[in-house]
Amino acid sequence: MKEKDASVNYKEHQLILYVEKKDGSYGPVKTGSYITKNYIDDFWYKRKKLEQDYMGKVRKGEISPIAYYMVLEELTPSELASRVRMSTRKVKKHLTTRHFGAITLEQLQRYCEVFNVSLVNLLQVIVTDKKNLKVIEEKTDNPFFTILKISAGKK
Amino acid sequence: MTFQHKMAAHCESGTVTALLNHAGLSISEPLVFGISAGIFFGYFESKKFPFPTFVVRNRPGQIRTGVAKRIGVNFKEQRFRSTEKGEHALDSLLAAGNPVACQTDFFYMNYLPNHVRVHINVHFITVVEKRGGVYVVSDCYSPTLAELDRDSLVKARFAGGSFSPRGFIFYPVSIPGSIDYRKAIWSGIRSAAFNMVKLPIPFIGVKGIRLFAKKVVDWPKLARDVDHLSHEIMKINIFLEDQGTGGAGFRFMYATFLREASELLNDPDLLEMSRRIMEIGDRWREISLFAARIGKRRDLGSDRLGELGAMINARADDEELFFRDLLKLGKSKK
Repeated sequence: MKEKDASVNYKEHQLILYVEKKDGSYGPVKTGSYITKNYIDDFWYKRKKLEQDYMGKVRKGEISPIAYYMVLEELTPSELASRVRMSTRKVKKHLTTRHFGAITLEQLQRYCEVFNVSLVNLLQVIVTDKKNLKVIEEKTDNPFFTILKISAGKK
Repeated sequence: MTFQHKMAAHCESGTVTALLNHAGLSISEPLVFGISAGIFFGYFESKKFPFPTFVVRNRPGQIRTGVAKRIGVNFKEQRFRSTEKGEHALDSLLAAGNPVACQTDFFYMNYLPNHVRVHINVHFITVVEKRGGVYVVSDCYSPTLAELDRDSLVKARFAGGSFSPRGFIFYPVSIPGSIDYRKAIWSGIRSAAFNMVKLPIPFIGVKGIRLFAKKVVDWPKLARDVDHLSHEIMKINIFLEDQGTGGAGFRFMYATFLREASELLNDPDLLEMSRRIMEIGDRWREISLFAARIGKRRDLGSDRLGELGAMINARADDEELFFRDLLKLGKSKK
């Protein structure tokens, strides 16, 4: 690839490509990501739609919040099971609303670690019609307890 | 000595290169990649992946082990059963002023953009320093040194799942006084070419590319809906271009390796091979751009996917010829 063909002006996502330079030598150039620059809107459109579809399923009680996060984070029951150190059979059960109720707090904590969400956020979604709200979740020394700080941001 | 942060095309080859440079060995990322026989192709379908996928490099860890074996560098490597021990070992090394490479789950690298972060346990970073509860990290995908909080690094180092890192760390402890680059380069070339054309496994090497070409036509049957299919098709572009390959699924970096090798060994045959793989890389890039375009337009009918499959198959033909010639050349230089 010629150096001029690799050049993408996109500061937000930089990467290294190896190219044929003007003097005929081969070497690295730092450039912007072509796909992020040109297709990120499409990525977020699909992501948002997926979130809405699966949140709808959670709200209807068709799936558990664990299934929601598993799909969003592109994991399979088998991979998730290995990450939370449980059997695939048990994880598959936890994907359903029926069995989700029987989950222990300790098991829930393991899912939270993998999904990188707090315990409360696995059980609720924060919705507001106010703009400029700042929501900060503060961890405490207690792994089962967090402090949610909601404050008005600058207008 | 201060650690010099530098972006690199790929996390493992970049991390190994940076550590070797820091230890006083002047070597480039393409040389590390080529000597370790990094170029590869594999098409995989597994319960561990939500969708079929492909890889364009050798098994994670083999860049380090390959380069160590062929140039004689000795790396100290450690895995840990306990999080506390793993954390303590890293902190002690940092306190002694040693930059240390860590294997991590990419998902927790929260200094990188959200859209690129996925759960994959084979991301390599160099931890340079600890300041209070924060680690200073040299990540080849970050333009500058980054900060990572202790919790995230612990989660990343001890994530479960496929290729679980188990706190894996490594750093070079000895570099040989003189290196036989001729032997190392040709050994790496023979190994890579063998993997591409001689391994009798239907989803590896050129056979893997052909399998990919055949299977991609059936991907609509595996997708939830057209948006999901579009996402997976567009990931072809990401896997080939954006996910730390240096472009065209490492083919451009391999071309650079062959060119550097030709200069180092004064071998015109390698220069010609370098030119050939650069051209093949250009054709792979056409596939990337095509996949991104049809994915965005949701133009994913059987005709279009058939066209994509045919393009991939043509690359298999090119690479079969290229790697057979490269293997023959490698054998002749023994």
